[in-house]
Amino acid sequence: MQTLIKVENLVKRYARRNPAGGQEELLALDGVSFEVLAGSTLAVVGESGSGKSTLALCLACLEEATSGSIWLEGKDICKVAEKERREMRPQIQMIFQDPANSLNPRWRTLEIVTEPLVLRGGISRDEMKKQVYALLGRVGLPAETAKRLPCELSGGQRQRLAIARVLALEPKVLILDEALSALDCSVQAQIANLLMELQGALGMTYVFITHDLGMAAHLADEIVVMNGGRIVERGRAEEVLREPREEITRRLVAAVPRLTRSPLAPIGR
Amino acid sequence: MRLRRSVAKWLVVLGVLHGIVVCAGFFAPYDPAEQDRKSPYLPPMRVHVVDEEGHFHARPFVYAFRLRQGTFDQYEEDAARSYPLRFFVRGARYRLLGILPSRLHLFGAEDLRIYLLGTDAYGRDQLSRLVFGGQVSLLAGLLGAGITLSLGLCIGAVAGYYGGWRDDVLMRVAELFLALPWLYLLFAVRAFLPLTVRPLAAFFLIVAVIGEVGWARPARLVRAVVLSAKERDFVRAARGFGAKDVYLLRWHILPETGSVLLTQAAILVPQYVLAEMTLSFLGLGVPEPVPSWGNLLSSLQQYSVLVSYWWMYLPTLAMVPFFLGYLGLASSLQERGPAYKIERRSLGSLT
Amino acid sequence: MMRYFLRRLGHAFLLIFGVSILAFLFTTLAPGNYFDEMRLNPQIAPETVAALRAQYQLDRPLVVRYASWVNSLIHGEMGFSFAYNSPVAPLLLVRARNTLLLTVTATVLAWGIALPAGVWSAERVGRLPDRLISWGTAALLVIPDLALALGLLVLAVRTGWFPTGGMASVDFEDFSLLHKLRDLALHLALPILALVLSALPLLVRHVRAAVAEVLGAPFMLAAQGHGIPRRTLLYRYALPAAANPLISLFGFSIGALLSGSLLIEVVMSWPGLGPFLLEAILSRDLYVVIGGVLFSTVFLVTGNFLADMLLYWADPRIRTKSGAR
Repeated sequence: MQTLIKVENLVKRYARRNPAGGQEELLALDGVSFEVLAGSTLAVVGESGSGKSTLALCLACLEEATSGSIWLEGKDICKVAEKERREMRPQIQMIFQDPANSLNPRWRTLEIVTEPLVLRGGISRDEMKKQVYALLGRVGLPAETAKRLPCELSGGQRQRLAIARVLALEPKVLILDEALSALDCSVQAQIANLLMELQGALGMTYVFITHDLGMAAHLADEIVVMNGGRIVERGRAEEVLREPREEITRRLVAAVPRLTRSPLAPIGR
Repeated sequence: MRLRRSVAKWLVVLGVLHGIVVCAGFFAPYDPAEQDRKSPYLPPMRVHVVDEEGHFHARPFVYAFRLRQGTFDQYEEDAARSYPLRFFVRGARYRLLGILPSRLHLFGAEDLRIYLLGTDAYGRDQLSRLVFGGQVSLLAGLLGAGITLSLGLCIGAVAGYYGGWRDDVLMRVAELFLALPWLYLLFAVRAFLPLTVRPLAAFFLIVAVIGEVGWARPARLVRAVVLSAKERDFVRAARGFGAKDVYLLRWHILPETGSVLLTQAAILVPQYVLAEMTLSFLGLGVPEPVPSWGNLLSSLQQYSVLVSYWWMYLPTLAMVPFFLGYLGLASSLQERGPAYKIERRSLGSLT
Repeated sequence: MMRYFLRRLGHAFLLIFGVSILAFLFTTLAPGNYFDEMRLNPQIAPETVAALRAQYQLDRPLVVRYASWVNSLIHGEMGFSFAYNSPVAPLLLVRARNTLLLTVTATVLAWGIALPAGVWSAERVGRLPDRLISWGTAALLVIPDLALALGLLVLAVRTGWFPTGGMASVDFEDFSLLHKLRDLALHLALPILALVLSALPLLVRHVRAAVAEVLGAPFMLAAQGHGIPRRTLLYRYALPAAANPLISLFGFSIGALLSGSLLIEVVMSWPGLGPFLLEAILSRDLYVVIGGVLFSTVFLVTGNFLADMLLYWADPRIRTKSGAR
């Protein structure tokens, strides 16, 4: 397998005004580097405030990094011109934590899934419609949901909808930013299985961002642990879980609920 | 967008009221500029259904006025002859909506000009002036609010979406505008525009002045909505699909400002009608003989009118339903959500 | 504290400066001035008009005029009134004093009524007293200010209870002190009533909303759960928590009252800034207009500055944030 994404020394600083009027600086990413192999899953685990969500936004080109580079198939997406970046964007897609927030509440399912197709253009209305229904079927949404508003769907259905929407663009990389955290346990398992099945079928590369080390270990091939904007530990999933080296990782491991014998045991379908 | 029942109810009320004003020619019995020099300051005529002898008449009627003996401005009813009210009569020519020529009026009487709200110093029918004046005042309010909201939308969207120095500059200027009491500001802007111009020009001048003065508040509200909307995940997602700024603003961000704008409109229109009234009342607005609600009241500035001709005050009562309609609309819109909250600070918050 | 204080003060001065520039800009954009009307008068020679224009520097560029205006401001003159042929500042000060008398009294009265009424109403949300207050404020809201002022005037004229204009009776100078005060109070009554009635409904509604919101907040429910008595709850817990938006509203209400007083002064011929400004506008007495606008801005900015200081005192969050850095 070859390397698909290569992140080198990524730094992100936020300047923000404090309420008293002064400037303060927040270092969200402090020199992050890693690689992801094509078709594999990398989990980025950390507590809130560790910089993992900023990393997700930078990877998806939704925030501009202060310095450093992100290579995608040999092109640095931080350095290319705005126009070319817009063309590259569909290749890296993102699933957000809360599907209630990532789907426009005024739009119907049909419109939501059509949007990326319209923006990419190049095919007729009829064809779009056909594709949309195919995509809905692909993620297990019944065709009659096409006329519904997001608020009329369940949490799991909404996340399926969000997945269907990005699949329309046939992305190479899918960034899952806490994509399962807002869901109930049983629904989490369903969506996780759907994601794994899609990865197997379409060969997508996942960057799975989460605070839940147990779920990370279940889904990912490799895990990096972030703290304070830096990567403090990395390794194969089982190893990190079994033999955490850093204090922060041990805390995260301790937070994994142990209802079953081991968090590595298969999650029930 | 689905309307709540209370919103729909107020919209119907406002629709009816505005309908009357739009079809002023039909509801007003006379031309608002037509003078009747023989009967200045005629009190409102009473509509009777029972005559002097106590007989009941199915068709309502009025009596003519005659000067009371020994006075020259006191009128009394002349019961010698009754003038029955006729409905759907032919009278003064007018153009419905400014296009359709017509002579049909809702009511009138034969051989007598009837003045249900009395007349002014020139013997012009106050009722006709009230209905036609509504056209000027309400149009000024609506157009002014339109200008304000478009300005506020554009400025707020630019400030909120692009941020940075544009945001800083625009919001500083907004503070400047908010720092002035609005009526003083209105005065100040009006002060430096020509005093005497043709009525139509004056009207648009007033509308422009009123409309431009108030942009700061809606701009801040729009900015706040845009600021939070652009950080929402569905906007980020669309940008991830390769959407450009204009697409994002048009399809995802600006629709979010809809409820704020609607509520602001319901608040601004009556405010601006009032502003037009105030300017015209003080003689800075639409000039005579064009009727406007402010002009209608301006004679009350004279002490003698105030003392002797109380009915000149009656038109204000007719304006109350309009303000009630807009207030009702605004508050039932506000119930929908946190569309409008009083700004944390009217000034300051530079931080 | 000092830092926050100075920031707000600097901000206030910047605003006033900005408004003065804005006012000056409008004067240049305006067609016509005081002397244009004079020029139409055949009895005045064109040379005289030109000489007067030169004397008042109307033929100079804007920057020069602004500089000389600022200079005269420093000397306490604020430019020169063409119509009164005297410096503007003393003329304005007298009127500003009268306007202040009106607005300050009205502000105190309006808040004095709105606070207890709002709290009282918020405590009984949905019950009869609350509904009555809501209906009352709604009724006041739908009557336009102008109609309210005129209506009171009509009432005063027809009943003869109150004097209907001016600030003092004709023979004011001969009255004893007590009588003078009584006379002033009588003359104040009508404009104040009009101002308070026009400002009251919004204030009551916002006080009610702010207090009702706090009363429904989780920490209030928790405090209630601890068995703290209702009175303590209302005045020791709820009011301070609702203070923040109310103080902002206070700053806002000053602006509203100033605007309102402008109109009411004209309608009730109260010798304040309002009629003076109107007269100046009609005669194109431009330094008086600029001065009047500036005076009102100073009032408003002062009011907002006070509100900011109150906010500092009332909101611990601002204190910690500005204190830390």
